[in-house]
Amino acid sequence: MSAEAIIIGAQIVAGHDGSAELLVNLRHPNGAESPVVLDEATGLKLMKTCGAAHVDELTGQSWRRIVEGL
Amino acid sequence: MALSLQRRFVTPGPGETVEEIADRALPDQDQGAAVDAIRSWNLHIFAMRRPPGLLLGSDVVFIEPPIG
Amino acid sequence: MYDVIVRGGLVVDGSGAPGYLGDVAVQDGKIVAVGQITGDALRFVEAEGRIVAPGFIDPHTHFDVQLLWDGAAKPALEHGITCVVPGNCSLSLAPLRAADRQQVIGMFQQIEEMPPAAFTEAFEWTWEDFAGYRAAIEKSLSINVAPLVGHSVIRLWVMGPHAQERAADAGEISAMQDMLRECLDAGAVGLSTSFVDVDENGRPVPSRFAQFEELDALSAVLGEYGRMLQIVPEFYAIDITIARIDQLAELSLKHNIPTTFSPVFDSTATPDNVARTVARVEEQFSRGARVWPQMQTRPIDISFSLLRPSLFFARLPRWVRILRQPLEQRIAALRDPETVAKMVADTGPDGGERMMGRLVVRGGDGAPVELTGRTLSDIAKDRGEVTALALINLSLEHGLDVALLSANAGHEVTDRIGPMLAHPLVHIGASDGGAHLASFSTYGDTGYLFSEFVRKSGALSLEQAVAKLTAETADIWGLKDRGRLEAGKAADIVIFDAATIGRGEERPAFDMPGNGMRYVRAATGIDTVLVNGQVAYAGGQYSEARAGVVCV
Repeated sequence: MSAEAIIIGAQIVAGHDGSAELLVNLRHPNGAESPVVLDEATGLKLMKTCGAAHVDELTGQSWRRIVEGL
Repeated sequence: MALSLQRRFVTPGPGETVEEIADRALPDQDQGAAVDAIRSWNLHIFAMRRPPGLLLGSDVVFIEPPIG
Repeated sequence: MYDVIVRGGLVVDGSGAPGYLGDVAVQDGKIVAVGQITGDALRFVEAEGRIVAPGFIDPHTHFDVQLLWDGAAKPALEHGITCVVPGNCSLSLAPLRAADRQQVIGMFQQIEEMPPAAFTEAFEWTWEDFAGYRAAIEKSLSINVAPLVGHSVIRLWVMGPHAQERAADAGEISAMQDMLRECLDAGAVGLSTSFVDVDENGRPVPSRFAQFEELDALSAVLGEYGRMLQIVPEFYAIDITIARIDQLAELSLKHNIPTTFSPVFDSTATPDNVARTVARVEEQFSRGARVWPQMQTRPIDISFSLLRPSLFFARLPRWVRILRQPLEQRIAALRDPETVAKMVADTGPDGGERMMGRLVVRGGDGAPVELTGRTLSDIAKDRGEVTALALINLSLEHGLDVALLSANAGHEVTDRIGPMLAHPLVHIGASDGGAHLASFSTYGDTGYLFSEFVRKSGALSLEQAVAKLTAETADIWGLKDRGRLEAGKAADIVIFDAATIGRGEERPAFDMPGNGMRYVRAATGIDTVLVNGQVAYAGGQYSEARAGVVCV
């Protein structure tokens, strides 16, 4: 088990306002999972930060990448 | 019907910082580690807030990870 | 002599009881008799073969601005809605000092996407207080209005620029309580607050700077009047939703008030969310709290264009790389045949047909009108191109300003959602009527309830669906004179065809001030709508009747 929360998957979901949003699933050190939904700009920024050209490439990344550069 | 157990949270006091919340909610932990943990449990606040890091009195700040 | 008799329809009275053949008599704006009526009337409305039901109530709208020049809240009324609740999500147009108008306009534009001309050409600002706003809209209402007052504007009134900066002190909270009382006395049916909305600069709206103690103090005032507290919770994150439910329950129990949160929607990405939401609501109701989850009926669509990077392409690495370039470089890349060939190849051997073929070209942007509503697949065939290439070329031909719609991208699985809507503690609403004007249509949810969840899936009976939209909503909101076809109630009546009631296709309309665009849907199957005893809509036409009131 990782000592910090890691991304275990991400998918595109429909935002309430009609935009595409990125739902990122995290697994925490206690084994529990939880989602965070990122708006379009933040989701695209996360992909760029991680060098990911596909949402599947976010898997395994640290939660820190989500807040990196803010 | 009894209320089922849910994830514990606090709301920030006026002007309260994440460091102060860490001291209040997780007093037994090293502050740096506690802040780190709180940030990872509350990405709904720390990922998209403008300006970054702004805490609001109405925020739900979880003080534990999701319940497994 | 009655004023009106609605004759010979199947009376579905809002109670949930089975419909029965009968008549409804109206006098002086009120229902005076229901059953077999033999008297004479100034006007007969023939309803044979039709359903006669109480007018629908839409509890989550943002018609605050539109009501100032359009007293029918078009097209809400033609969908059978006879009462709208504006002022949701912490925002209303009163109380509002003249000096603060511009700030609130920014917030409204962020949520409603109302064109600037709506605020400069369409009406005169004649008010600052809530009573003044009420007077301004009451002049020409043909629909009823049960307005909420927004927490953000009350905060702004009391705290000025500090409203969006800090917590309130005891004196300021006391002043907010006084202002809320004034608004409730002037006809507000409750208070709205928001935990998610931002202004046009992305800064949280004023209500979000409030401590829970402030909300508690305002809820105490709501308790004096027995009025509603509405909130917008964070989306998708179920733990937060449950935390908000618990906060609302605490306020509901302490102050004996009804509370509601909206929107609630289903997602296959988070398939347990609604079940967990409803389970927590059930627990809190069992303690005596009133915490009503408001669920929308319509699916959520995603819209995008190549003007801005979109997550729609997040599974196409090359597309992501190209579309996140600055505009000039992006256009250059899309004009490069070699690059485009690779992009098209990335979409698969079918040239993107499976991935993009069902996208629909929307109107109201740079796309030619004749393409509006057509699928990309269809357009590609006409152009003799594969689908992905058609998307690129069509976009290039119009400066990339071609909006595309991916329909039914969320809250779309009828067999899952039907039972949720039918749950006795789930309140149907969250239409957002009057908001998101340039993004999607917020009209037709009531028709969609009947077409999708009564006729198609059978998740609700006709009588259940009517009850959800009428008596149950009136009871939840404490609208004592509305929601039922029974003697003494207001004569808000909709006559419709159970076999055809539904919503039309989404289309752009340029009927906002300054020829501003919005997306709308027409109604199908609605014959006649009476508001307070007067025919407000019949045979596809709005009447000159102005019988709407601010109702409490």
